[in-house]
Amino acid sequence: MKTIIKVDHASRFYTVGDITVKALNDVSLEIKEGEFTSIMGPSGSGKSTMMNLIGCLDSPSDGNIYIDGQSTFNMDETELADLRNKKVGFIFQQFNLLSKLSALENVTTPLLYSGIKKKKREEMAIAALQKVGLGDRMYHRPNEMSGGQKQRVAVARAIVTNPSIILADEPTGALDSKTGKQIMDLFWGLHNEGRTIIFVTHDKALGEQCLRQVHIKDGKMVEEGVTHDN
Amino acid sequence: MIIENTKLAFKAMAGSKLRTLLSLLGIVIGVAAVVAILTLGQSITTNISDSISSSGPDLITFKPYTDSEFSNIFTEQYADTLKDLDDNIETVMAVNDTSGTTVRFGQEDYSAHIYGVPSSYYANLDMEMESGEFFSITDSVTNAQTIVLGYDVADDLFPTGDAVGKKVMVYRGTSGKPYTVVGVLEEKDAIFSLSFDYGVFIPFSTYNARFNKSDTVNSYIIKVNDENVTLDVSDNLEDYYDDLLGEDYFRIMSPTTMAEMASSVTSTLSSFLAAVAAISLLVGGIGIMNIMLVSVSERTKEIGIRKALGAAPAIIRGQFICESLVITLIGGVIGVILGLSVSYFASVQMGTTFVMSWLSVIVSMGFSMVIGLFFGWYPALKASQLDPIEALNYE
Repeated sequence: MKTIIKVDHASRFYTVGDITVKALNDVSLEIKEGEFTSIMGPSGSGKSTMMNLIGCLDSPSDGNIYIDGQSTFNMDETELADLRNKKVGFIFQQFNLLSKLSALENVTTPLLYSGIKKKKREEMAIAALQKVGLGDRMYHRPNEMSGGQKQRVAVARAIVTNPSIILADEPTGALDSKTGKQIMDLFWGLHNEGRTIIFVTHDKALGEQCLRQVHIKDGKMVEEGVTHDN
Repeated sequence: MIIENTKLAFKAMAGSKLRTLLSLLGIVIGVAAVVAILTLGQSITTNISDSISSSGPDLITFKPYTDSEFSNIFTEQYADTLKDLDDNIETVMAVNDTSGTTVRFGQEDYSAHIYGVPSSYYANLDMEMESGEFFSITDSVTNAQTIVLGYDVADDLFPTGDAVGKKVMVYRGTSGKPYTVVGVLEEKDAIFSLSFDYGVFIPFSTYNARFNKSDTVNSYIIKVNDENVTLDVSDNLEDYYDDLLGEDYFRIMSPTTMAEMASSVTSTLSSFLAAVAAISLLVGGIGIMNIMLVSVSERTKEIGIRKALGAAPAIIRGQFICESLVITLIGGVIGVILGLSVSYFASVQMGTTFVMSWLSVIVSMGFSMVIGLFFGWYPALKASQLDPIEALNYE
């Protein structure tokens, strides 16, 4: 199967005054197309740094990261933005919807940055919203929706560009367990469509539901586990 | 993208109405001031020019000063010499005048400007009679004691309007002599040229016999054959007398040159005032920058989200510049409307004709857009340079 993400001896150092903090230290990892992977670790372990690097929000201090075969080394802000737009769909714990925009406008936003025409943008966004079961909530603003609905909008926004990776950072962290389960079901549905999903969490039980688990501690990869698909 | 950015700008403005309104106000006041001053300046200039050139665009006044060593050549006969100086000169009239002459009727006194003029003066200066007639050539030849009163003089001495045929006393020092009123001039506004309303006119010969000890002449009124050559002729005369007398010993004036001078004075003045007003526009621009910086800092999270969704720095920059441009554009439009209204009502109040100055509208709109661009640039740049991770985690 095709390798979607290749983390090649990647490190990320932060310099604070005279001290250099190694947030991620020489990590290598490959994620294949269609995999449902969790990245787990306690807070401060470096899993957020890992997510930022894979999500092209940041670039490594050392080593390299390949997204869908493309090296991110030496990419400037504009190139990284373009890569994020085309290859990565983000889902955040706090939904991160644009509060002044309707659900539909939120979902069309990444398409706007891809330079897609208005009519086509709306068609694609409507399809994505219908897919997550929000066909009747398109013109509602985030403050008129429940947590679960907001997260569904976020999922629709993440999948609307048909990205190579869906990167979810604690997507059920702000939801009650019932709603959380519904969102997880949505992820499983996406997985079954063959999408590559990376699930970042500190919740062991949740992470272990994923087919592949990557554990990070003190900036290093410590363990990998595989749960077989059933 | 521009349409989307404009929509976003309106959404952002609607989100903080009072703040937007206050920052708009700076631009509105600045633009309104610039437009009002320039339009009003233009109106005044046009009105002055019209008024001056309507009072004899084909006339030039030549005044030799009496302290010139040549002053004794300037007699009534010199008018003929003057006429031969330029082919475009149609006629030259010798005129003498004195100010502060007392004209009395009954118990009423009027301190008038008295002119000794030829009888042709009336026709050459396009004067109009309110009543009676201008004195005749016979009066001129016979040193007749006839007088024509300016409108204000007649109005003051003869409130009931029956001046013609009456005798008024005209004083030189303490000795007064009776003059028969033969006519009253129509009221005529004049801004820069002499106003006839406050003057009285007697035959040139009569004036000389009574008020002038020598044969010298105060001024010559030169009429050219075409108003388009007024400037050329007056320039030629200027050169000629510069050589003959020296520039400090005479004055040449014409409504046309005065109109030019007046226009240049008013336009310089209004440009200066507009520049001062433009400073207020600049201050308004600083207000925009302030509000945009606040907006960027408040919307850090939004910027982070947009960046995560793939907005390149240039797109973020464009969004914020567009917002600042929209604010200045709206401010500009309101300012133009306000400025034009103010200058319109001011024109009406001053009794001048309102003249629309498109240039001022274009200049001030353009200037406010430049200000929007200039002061929106730095906040927009700041927004575009935000680190996406830090921006996303901003609370």
